[in-house]
Amino acid sequence: MDVLVCVKQVPDPETKLRVAPSGKALDTDGVKFTINNTYDEAMVEEALRMKEEFGFTSVRALSVGPARAEEALRATLAMGADEAVLVETPPGMELDPLFTARLLAAAAADIPHDLVLVGRHAQDDEAGAVGSALGEYLGLPSYSFVTELTPVAASHQLKMRRYLEGGEEVFSGPFPAVLSILKGAKDPRTPTLPNILKARKKPLKKIPVKDLEAKVSVLKGGFQPTSAVTSFTLPPPRSGAKMLEFQTPEEAATKLLKVLKEEAKVL
Amino acid sequence: MTLSILVVTDQRDGHLKGASLEALSEARRVAAQAGGGEVVAALVGSGLSAVIEEAKTRGVNRVLVVDDEHLRAFSASAYAQAVSRLIPKLTLPWAIFLPDSALGRELAPRLGALLGAGTATAVVEIHADPAGKVTVKRKVFGGKATETLELKGTPVLSLRPNSFAVDAPAAGDPPVEKVELGALPVHAQGVAVEKVVSTRGDTPELTEAAIVVSGGRGLKGPENFVMVEDLAKVLGAAVGSSRAVVDAGWRPASYQVGQTGKIIAPQLYIAAGISGAIQHLVGITNSRCIVAINKDPAAPIFKVADYGLAGDALTILPALTALVTKSKGP
Repeated sequence: MDVLVCVKQVPDPETKLRVAPSGKALDTDGVKFTINNTYDEAMVEEALRMKEEFGFTSVRALSVGPARAEEALRATLAMGADEAVLVETPPGMELDPLFTARLLAAAAADIPHDLVLVGRHAQDDEAGAVGSALGEYLGLPSYSFVTELTPVAASHQLKMRRYLEGGEEVFSGPFPAVLSILKGAKDPRTPTLPNILKARKKPLKKIPVKDLEAKVSVLKGGFQPTSAVTSFTLPPPRSGAKMLEFQTPEEAATKLLKVLKEEAKVL
Repeated sequence: MTLSILVVTDQRDGHLKGASLEALSEARRVAAQAGGGEVVAALVGSGLSAVIEEAKTRGVNRVLVVDDEHLRAFSASAYAQAVSRLIPKLTLPWAIFLPDSALGRELAPRLGALLGAGTATAVVEIHADPAGKVTVKRKVFGGKATETLELKGTPVLSLRPNSFAVDAPAAGDPPVEKVELGALPVHAQGVAVEKVVSTRGDTPELTEAAIVVSGGRGLKGPENFVMVEDLAKVLGAAVGSSRAVVDAGWRPASYQVGQTGKIIAPQLYIAAGISGAIQHLVGITNSRCIVAINKDPAAPIFKVADYGLAGDALTILPALTALVTKSKGP
């Protein structure tokens, strides 16, 4: 069994957001990028857990992004992935989740995969759209918000649990497949120093995005984004809570219900 | 020519969920905004007769149905195929709306990929101009920024719960047409549901509830968490918690609100005894109104809250529950 994990490098969640001069994007000048999306780390851990538990052949990592995204792939290699592929985008190239899914699909066609894993969503655009779109482009089933996963190799079936409103569904489906992992069985491991050093020497192949143009052009949507950001804005900073003064709990309750009804109009 | 908005509903638990009603209502408003057009409800699943009757009361022009045994278990691939069978029934397909539920979030991108259409998830605003151009707004970076998107083709949009008003039911008898599912590709076959495990009993789901009451370590002990649940009950609210409460084992992980738990956007969020760690705040900043109750007036939660009560949640929660109960009458 071969597992392919798709990771995305995102800005550090603590980073101070500023709008780029174009007014259409985050100003990435001086922004610190995290090694990896938090949800991807949980997903990579799940892939490594399965490799160890079920004796899978390999875990390979794939990402689409600019040259700096190599850091995210090296971090994934340091966690324990065997090889990595970066689809390298030139500076300023615009992507959207479905275009990214098409690029991943074109690159994945040349990488062995029985399971393709993605995280719940990326912490920057929060779209959570790549997984099931990738399934469509690869002609594979997709299963989202998976919380438990056991492959049964003999029958080519996955036994899974997935989140749904108010509970979880225990279900099964065939693989090869694309899965979005909501949470894994274990907390993500922290790479050790020896493994970080080893990761520098593991194979990492770079594919210029142009090399995939022919393959992507025949997919629905083509070699271009099908959505465009026309503005990126930051809300005015919250001014802090209006503090309600009170002497007794009853007075606190009365004042709060009054403002919620009359001022905020949410009751 | 009539522009059509197709609204794919989520009725996994046998009836139209709140988020589906929001999508149907918003479709009517957007159609009107664009100078008229029809709203077509798309019901996809198995054993749908009751839901068909429910959909007919929602002011739609038509109801299209794919009711097939092969759609009993949800498979994004199979459901996308089913919805694609409905497109030829529209004179001028203009946009496809879905609720941003677990089902809608998975189905919308798959459908967008199948159709090669511009796709946006968790949208909070939709604008249409008479030329037919669709722009949407969505929150990014944990609610810290908003992006506006322009979409190509027949846009596929999933609408974030609690972001759109729900219209009252309307009289009318819209025509219902059943469409055959036909043969499914291999990747759309073979999903089987063994069972559904409920984790929340009768309380509303965190991600869909209009009101959420959460408790944190300021409640001192698991025995006091019931105060949060009592207030939630009288408000018809969902119950959440901070990560600390889950880590301490007071409540299971399904209660956790925040970056590594549920990301919510209710109309009203009440945080009791929660100091407001960044990882919690990321999960709540999209709430319309935030109330914080905390003993420490310097707690970070007060920086993002709209209203603050600097006091003990252990005395204020029961007072609130009593007052809400009283105001509702016998």
